[in-house]
Amino acid sequence: MRKITFTIKRFDGKKEWLQRYDLPYENGKTLLWALTKIREEQDPTLNFTSACRHAICGSCAIRVNGNSFLTCKTALDEILETFHTDDLTCEPLGNFDVVRDLVIDWKPKLEKMKVVKPWMIPKDTGTPMTGFKQTEQEFQKIASPTDCILCGICASECTQLSVNQEGYLEPFILNRAYRFAVDSRDAAREEHIKPVLDNDLWKCVHCMQCVSQCPKEINLAAEIAYLRQETMKMGETQNLGARHAYAFHDDVKNKGRLNEMTLPMKTEGVVKTAIKRVPFALRMISKGKINPLHMPKEIEGIQGVRKIYEYAKGVDQQ
Amino acid sequence: MKYGFFPGCTLESAAEELMISTKKVAEALGIELIELEGWTCCGASHIQDVDDFLGVAVNARNIALGEKLDVPILTVCNTCTLMLRTAKDRLDHDEELKDKVNEGLHRANLEYAGTSDVTHLLWALIKDYGLENLRKKVKRPLTGLKVANFYGCHIVRPPKIMGFENHMNPQSMEMVAEVLGAESVEFDQRLACCGFHAVFPAEKEVMGMTRMNCLSPKAAGADCLVTPCPLCQMQLDMYQPDAQKGTQENITMPILHLPQLIGLALGFELEELAINRHIIDAIPILKKTLAIA
Repeated sequence: MRKITFTIKRFDGKKEWLQRYDLPYENGKTLLWALTKIREEQDPTLNFTSACRHAICGSCAIRVNGNSFLTCKTALDEILETFHTDDLTCEPLGNFDVVRDLVIDWKPKLEKMKVVKPWMIPKDTGTPMTGFKQTEQEFQKIASPTDCILCGICASECTQLSVNQEGYLEPFILNRAYRFAVDSRDAAREEHIKPVLDNDLWKCVHCMQCVSQCPKEINLAAEIAYLRQETMKMGETQNLGARHAYAFHDDVKNKGRLNEMTLPMKTEGVVKTAIKRVPFALRMISKGKINPLHMPKEIEGIQGVRKIYEYAKGVDQQ
Repeated sequence: MKYGFFPGCTLESAAEELMISTKKVAEALGIELIELEGWTCCGASHIQDVDDFLGVAVNARNIALGEKLDVPILTVCNTCTLMLRTAKDRLDHDEELKDKVNEGLHRANLEYAGTSDVTHLLWALIKDYGLENLRKKVKRPLTGLKVANFYGCHIVRPPKIMGFENHMNPQSMEMVAEVLGAESVEFDQRLACCGFHAVFPAEKEVMGMTRMNCLSPKAAGADCLVTPCPLCQMQLDMYQPDAQKGTQENITMPILHLPQLIGLALGFELEELAINRHIIDAIPILKKTLAIA
């Protein structure tokens, strides 16, 4: 009989260990079915959380073979097929403190979330009695970010968070800031966005893990791009991230292509580049990887590119 | 087989060896690459942070250059592939956006229709060229060479845009390595991020990631790491001496571009593939393992 082996990372509050459980294979089951079966039939001490079983409550996410899933939504067959194996390793979500076994601690995260004021700061055009009127377009802006069920999967997968838990905000917190910043009823968008900027907004490495794993398919990468655009509209254009982004934006307009020689100067400034990047530049020149005298020529059709830039300025992006 | 070739900016400067090796490999395999005349930078996953619409528009223009030649577009850079495919996906699913973008493109005498696909050399070799055909071209099997396949984020994620294979357990690099005769090692960081896109604002964190990305294949016994993305290659090679400063442990790991690995198996000499241009010298281990004089 085909057996599926679950190696589960256990934690009793003091010590950690790996524990193995074998389950007879059954088709058409979910990951949550497997965990429940182990607890009911083999080990009542195994801790994990779940509630709604319909991908709505967000309480059942864990990591399996290095990737985070909602156990109630994920078919066991899909996992076995993805990893071409009958051996599955289950761990609690990454980038969270662990309470017991597969149970994570949400309290510090929810405390941390308060920094972006994840609540509405209402405009005075509405009252508790009359409410607000929103157009369909205004509603659509908050429809997707409101789908977030706080399952924690984006945080578990986030590359920047894995190396910078203190400084960076969990993607679901960025989503909350976005959700209120774009709400037509909210009067204080900067109060949601400024704390995001102050917490390493530009350190997102564009790894696309959050977008790829979100069970609600929220486009967190596009939200992060929006938050960055808004900080620049607020005048925050002199930080390394904004200057770096502008270097690309401007080079495409000027010549059509990136000038790698001037990129560090545009990002860090001439003085810092001169102090910091000399050994790097010498290393590059010695291998012929950069030629300090090479200046990119204007591409064929640069006038057309500039016309597109000119046109884009007048396009309503709402 | 004919493609509109979109090299991307790095191939004209710091990663020129990728231009050299890609052209050698394509020629040897009989793949015609017609460089798109007047291509611009794809925006490198930064331009949308300044202006989202412009990010779509410049890449619509790039794709339109391929459509004019009536060929699919081929890149050798993960991020170029993602930027072009993201624009294409949005334009092909949003008529209103497409009309708006085309109004801009008309000013440059171009039009985006949606007729050219965007692919990466890695995918094209598997899907269009065929691995068995590639196998027939191997003149110097890479027997004994242990390679760590480092995919880089943007060739697999997000799957909605990339979609060539399962993003949680892709196999294309291993399939190519097997055909070339090399042995793929298993290592933790196989699907990790190189951090290149945030190397300025998050330098400390990214150098830590570079250390992990070098130490992990080293611990798995890899002779070299190979990647289908010039940005991963640049991060892991050019910045490796800086990353080394953060630890006593020796992190040295030679970093190859995918076309260089393929070129070696096709029988090209190391210099023909410009392997001498790397910061971390890959030549000694390749000469030793592949018995190249």
